[in-house]
Amino acid sequence: MRPELLKGHLDALLLAALEDEPRHGYAVIETLRTGSDGTLDLPTGTVYPALHRLERAGLIASRWHTVGGRRRRDYQLTAAGHAALAQHRDTWDRFSAAVTALLGRPVTPPTG
Amino acid sequence: MSADPAEDRIEAYLGEIAALLTGPRGHRRRIIDELRDGVREAAADHLAAGVPAGHAADAAIEQFGPPEAVAAAFAGELAIGYARRTLILLLCTGPIVGVCWLLALGLTPWRTGMVVLLAVIPALPVVAAAVVLAARTIATTGSLVRWLPETGPGPALTATAVVAVLAILVDLAVAGRYLWTRPGVSVAAALALTASGFRILACLVVLHRLRSWRGRVS
Repeated sequence: MRPELLKGHLDALLLAALEDEPRHGYAVIETLRTGSDGTLDLPTGTVYPALHRLERAGLIASRWHTVGGRRRRDYQLTAAGHAALAQHRDTWDRFSAAVTALLGRPVTPPTG
Repeated sequence: MSADPAEDRIEAYLGEIAALLTGPRGHRRRIIDELRDGVREAAADHLAAGVPAGHAADAAIEQFGPPEAVAAAFAGELAIGYARRTLILLLCTGPIVGVCWLLALGLTPWRTGMVVLLAVIPALPVVAAAVVLAARTIATTGSLVRWLPETGPGPALTATAVVAVLAILVDLAVAGRYLWTRPGVSVAAALALTASGFRILACLVVLHRLRSWRGRVS
């Protein structure tokens, strides 16, 4: 999928990936990849800085801990993050319904 | 060098990224720690998927991308982190330097009022402008971006440079005016001159460091 298609939806996708439980950066990438059957294979350079920006905006919070002798940073949604995700979902529902209505191909029965 | 060549390749990769990052040391260290965890997790995933042990680290490194691309992706966040930290420090030093000068000039604004204060320190409107610009930049690069238009890395660094230049100009103006109009230097004035001197030096260091971001962020 072309990266520019994700423009404007990256924040919502990252928030959705953190909705169920706290995850570290690589786990977020994997959640998005497996959750989309491999369609959303986002590069590291997109995901990690975006997570940092979401934390700066107060939508997610991070916590450092040690796993197997190495430092790990887990991210989780804040209350503001949950609210923002709900708002993104609402916007997406209306947007996707409108685009589907215009781009969705009518099913035509085979002729002959 | 460790006993594990794969580990060495990962550390060499992270070292290349670290060498390309510009910004506060702690911020850079946290980025590298986070990437280290991610690359090792990716290598473990490749290993579990059947990739031979010797190639799992290389596959993970390839997955994360070239060091130049990874470092460039973090440039914006590092720039904003530097701008915010610097502006907060400059905002905090403002009242300290200001009180030093009020003591040196024997001013009590709550008694004399703003008109007298402005007559003695004509640079006050410049101070106000610098404070407003700094506060606005801090607000629009932090949690207030949920409600306010976000300030990007380039404009945040520009605002930092402008505030640093204004701080230097104000310090030079107040100190110069004092030395020009007063015959001697009191203890309070020596303290104020020292405080201004330190702030001018700090601002010059900030301006020098800001040059290292030239061309890296927009």
